[in-house]
Amino acid sequence: MQLNSEQERMLAGKEGRGPQKAMEILTAVGEAQGAEKLVRISYAHLMPPDLMFFPYGRQGKWAHEMTEELTKDIQRLKVPATVEPKFCDLSIAKDLQYPDDAIEEMREIQGAAEEFYERLGVIPTYSAMPFYYYQGKFGAHVSISESIATLWFNTMFGSRCERDDGVKSLAAAITGYVPLEGAHLTENRHAEVVIELGKDLDFNEFNDADWDAFSLAASRKCRDKRPVFLGVPPKIGITDLKHLLAVIAVESGLAIMHIVGVTPEAPTLEASLAGHEPLAKFVIGKAELDEAYRLANTTTASDLDFILMGCPHLTTREFRDLAEVLDGKKIHKDLKLIAVTTKMLLKEAEDMGYVDAIRNAGGIVTSDMCIAFAGTQVTGTIATNSIKAVFFYAGFDAEGTRGVRFGSTKDCAKSALSGKWEGRR
Amino acid sequence: MTIYKGKSVSKMGVVEGEALVTKDLIAFWAGTNWETGEIVEIGHEARGKNVTGKILVFPKGKGGAGETFGYYYLARSGKAPQAMVCNSGLGQTVAGALLVNTPMVYGFKEDIVGAINTGDIVRIDTDKGEVEVIKKKGS
Repeated sequence: MQLNSEQERMLAGKEGRGPQKAMEILTAVGEAQGAEKLVRISYAHLMPPDLMFFPYGRQGKWAHEMTEELTKDIQRLKVPATVEPKFCDLSIAKDLQYPDDAIEEMREIQGAAEEFYERLGVIPTYSAMPFYYYQGKFGAHVSISESIATLWFNTMFGSRCERDDGVKSLAAAITGYVPLEGAHLTENRHAEVVIELGKDLDFNEFNDADWDAFSLAASRKCRDKRPVFLGVPPKIGITDLKHLLAVIAVESGLAIMHIVGVTPEAPTLEASLAGHEPLAKFVIGKAELDEAYRLANTTTASDLDFILMGCPHLTTREFRDLAEVLDGKKIHKDLKLIAVTTKMLLKEAEDMGYVDAIRNAGGIVTSDMCIAFAGTQVTGTIATNSIKAVFFYAGFDAEGTRGVRFGSTKDCAKSALSGKWEGRR
Repeated sequence: MTIYKGKSVSKMGVVEGEALVTKDLIAFWAGTNWETGEIVEIGHEARGKNVTGKILVFPKGKGGAGETFGYYYLARSGKAPQAMVCNSGLGQTVAGALLVNTPMVYGFKEDIVGAINTGDIVRIDTDKGEVEVIKKKGS
């Protein structure tokens, strides 16, 4: 790999051990990915292991040691950086069935990590949706570690990033560089397959869950090929976009997709394909949508123990949907409803009166944590409005210890009142 | 015997060990048990096999943003493979190997997964990026 003098200096350890290790990682990973050089970035979104990834037990301590080694001799990161949610809001950890000793360890490890990253200058967003805070610029190279955010920066802003993992994005923020490969290069950004909606469906009648189910159905068709979506209403809002992007991001492994009329690089289908013939055309109709709902409901059980929402964080519209159903009523005594967002959106929902409505009904509302990870400790049947969260709760090794129900935000709110699943079966 | 030439993640001398080969992609985050070294992914060809101390031969890693941490935790539990040999190097696998100093060679002209069998004794020269079967299983 060709390195400039600044990169050579870091690799030689002239800026200290942290930048040296970071440069070693970037060059080794870059070589593996076929990059010929590194490219300067203007922003990074971090996923630190000691903050987000199970900050308790042996793994928690090791994660902290790993961060210490990577950040040796570093006073400031080279670029503005935002950060993923924390693992858990400690004040609700007991509600999520964590034992006291695990909560104490979280207090130590997660707490120290919080202080540490803020001291390095990381903007304390604690959000999986950093696009609310940092607006990407067209063509700008960035490093992002969070699947929906990577997809969002490429698809919605036309910024350039790959699916960087937690270690690579930290190394990128430390050095200010990433390998020039994948979606950083123009030739890897055009659409490869076309996705259309069946004549038996209408985007204008979709609720939030339908966008999730549509996204799952589409990602099962396109797999690792970059899709372009036709017919999505250009007026599509941030909540529906969140649902559309979140599922395909985690299911497909893609860094970029196109929405004609929305994605900067896709004003038309022709522009999106950039002169290439599509490799395939897929139609997602009612049968495909039904199949996605079937996959996302991993149990037929009706009695619920938990309703966990906020993966990714709830938007103002989702809070409104919850509040409209719950206002003036009481959540069923046998279940817990936990709704998670970011502190910025929490403030907004408070001002709108939504948070009071949910709390007065007996629901828990909090911010800055990852309900997908932290929710994996509970036992019983869970309902959620996120297929991304379903993947986490059902377990990747599919032993099926936890049954999950999936439906719209309103379905979840209605179920909270009755204690039974009120959505599609 | 044939010497297969690939790219070495870092120069760490020569290692020898017994191969565990799988044709399926491997995930170290959730697909492999960090505490035991066992491959646990449902439907994985090598499900139930243990990677610890083996020369782990597989086509490529897979997984998301947590993948590097998965490998790191496996290694910190003392359950890492002795070395990794892959057809192509997933960034996260390479970063994981580099973090904990696991020898890793990838990127061969040949299909390395087809060239080595489970139980073969394999020599890896990480300085030259060379992989060689020095004793076939049963021979």
